[in-house]
Amino acid sequence: MKKMDAKNALKTWEMSNQVENVSSIDDIYRYDRQQHQDILTAKPWDKDPHYFKHIKISALALLKMVMHARSGGNLEVMGLLLGKVDGSTMIVMDSFALPVEGTETRVNAQAQAYEYMAAYTESAKQVGRLENAIGWYHSHPGYGCWLSGIDVNTQMLNQQYQEPFVAIVVDPVRTISAGKVNIGAFRTYPKGYIPPDEGPSEYQSIPLSKIEDFGVHCKHYYSLDVSYFKSSLDRKLLESLWNKYWVNTLSSSSLLTNADYTTGQVFDLADKLEQSEVQLGRGGFILGMDSHEKRSEDKLLKATKDG
Amino acid sequence: MASNMEVDNPDVGVMASAGTSGSVSISLHPLVIMNISEHWTRVKAQEGKPVQVYGALIGKQKGRNIEVMNSFELVTDKVNDAVVVNMDYYTVKEEQFKQVFSEMIFWVGTHCGNPNTSDINVHKQIIQINESPIFLKLNPLARHADLFVIFQLPVSMYESVIDLVNGEATMLLVELQYTLATEEAERIGVDHVARVSIADSVEGSTGMITSFF
Ligand SMILES: [Zn+2]
Repeated sequence: MKKMDAKNALKTWEMSNQVENVSSIDDIYRYDRQQHQDILTAKPWDKDPHYFKHIKISALALLKMVMHARSGGNLEVMGLLLGKVDGSTMIVMDSFALPVEGTETRVNAQAQAYEYMAAYTESAKQVGRLENAIGWYHSHPGYGCWLSGIDVNTQMLNQQYQEPFVAIVVDPVRTISAGKVNIGAFRTYPKGYIPPDEGPSEYQSIPLSKIEDFGVHCKHYYSLDVSYFKSSLDRKLLESLWNKYWVNTLSSSSLLTNADYTTGQVFDLADKLEQSEVQLGRGGFILGMDSHEKRSEDKLLKATKDG
Repeated sequence: MASNMEVDNPDVGVMASAGTSGSVSISLHPLVIMNISEHWTRVKAQEGKPVQVYGALIGKQKGRNIEVMNSFELVTDKVNDAVVVNMDYYTVKEEQFKQVFSEMIFWVGTHCGNPNTSDINVHKQIIQINESPIFLKLNPLARHADLFVIFQLPVSMYESVIDLVNGEATMLLVELQYTLATEEAERIGVDHVARVSIADSVEGSTGMITSFF
């Protein structure tokens, strides 16, 4: 079956290549500033709390998010999404990690994160990455993809001031244990809005310690249908990559441990998780931190050590 | 296709003699390949034609092995037909990346064809940043059918040596061997996106959680 897929895919590629113009596939990579401005002015999402129904994520953005989430290990990490909208579909072109470091001077750390966001987005424009922030992502290591109370507040604020905006959650632990990418994309409803009964959502297990946080807030947001896209060159390269994996089963991977990869990238977000104040960011994102269990565990740990 | 991409002959005096072997081996992460692919595609989509793009490689060295983990785009200017790397931009990006990723910096160039004197020219600029940089070249226009048959990536890597050519010290390139390296999340991610149909959509699932294959 895999063989058939590859053959068909190859045929598709060759056919589209004969037309000499592969650009229709890659059109999504072009940014139309005017079109974007028009959409921002029309604000179609203002009239319908359920306006955005789909989200498309680029191969690169997905890969970067999954790797970043993984690099955090059991710590939560966070980043920003760059993209645009097309009708009721949000399109994530790229993502980047935020250098949110564990420090007791939280306000400074936040200011630093905002500065970083603004600078990064600006420098990205100089190399043709023209899209603006369209959302944020963070990781839930081991406890599934959903929005906590603090996540809901953060997302609500951003939908108030930074629209269009989406929240993506990645679970790196479940991604590894299942061997499949574990991800969800969410939009919150306006305060006081009562959503029509959508029936039961897809099953996912949520740790007991989180179930209350989940239950209290799960009616305040909905998930978007997630799909992915890649360019014609991505396709070509990924096919070779995939075949290489398949053939060699990565002869070199034994040389290089995960630890090597991760150490350079760990941001200690957990230390800041209790943070619930929010602040308007000039980088195009309002930072609010999760207050998941971790903080109290840390405190417990500290207390034990001190004692 | 841009005219400068049709040149496929290596410029004379670019490559060191065939017997010269590289001093390091390279482990290359797929993320780098995906970064370059996206950069090239994006610029092509915006400009309406293929344009050569440049970037910097991020990695670290252990003995004789260099692990190339990530990359970022560079701004270049054309001055009298020569490619000039914008060092101010480089400095800004290096600073940004150091905040999230404290590693050594190398460099990458990507375009069609074999290394030429223009590459040597850019390589000399990069030496100001890193004494012994490596050079990655990705050919986005490689013929797909060939790649498919031999499972080859259109990626080559080089380092530079100084050799006497006609009594003059000349910079030449030596091709390096590389292998692919990944960690688990990267492999799962690559596997995932590799299987996504190019016609996009229909891949996602509804509901709280989306998982794949
Ligand atoms: Zn959260």
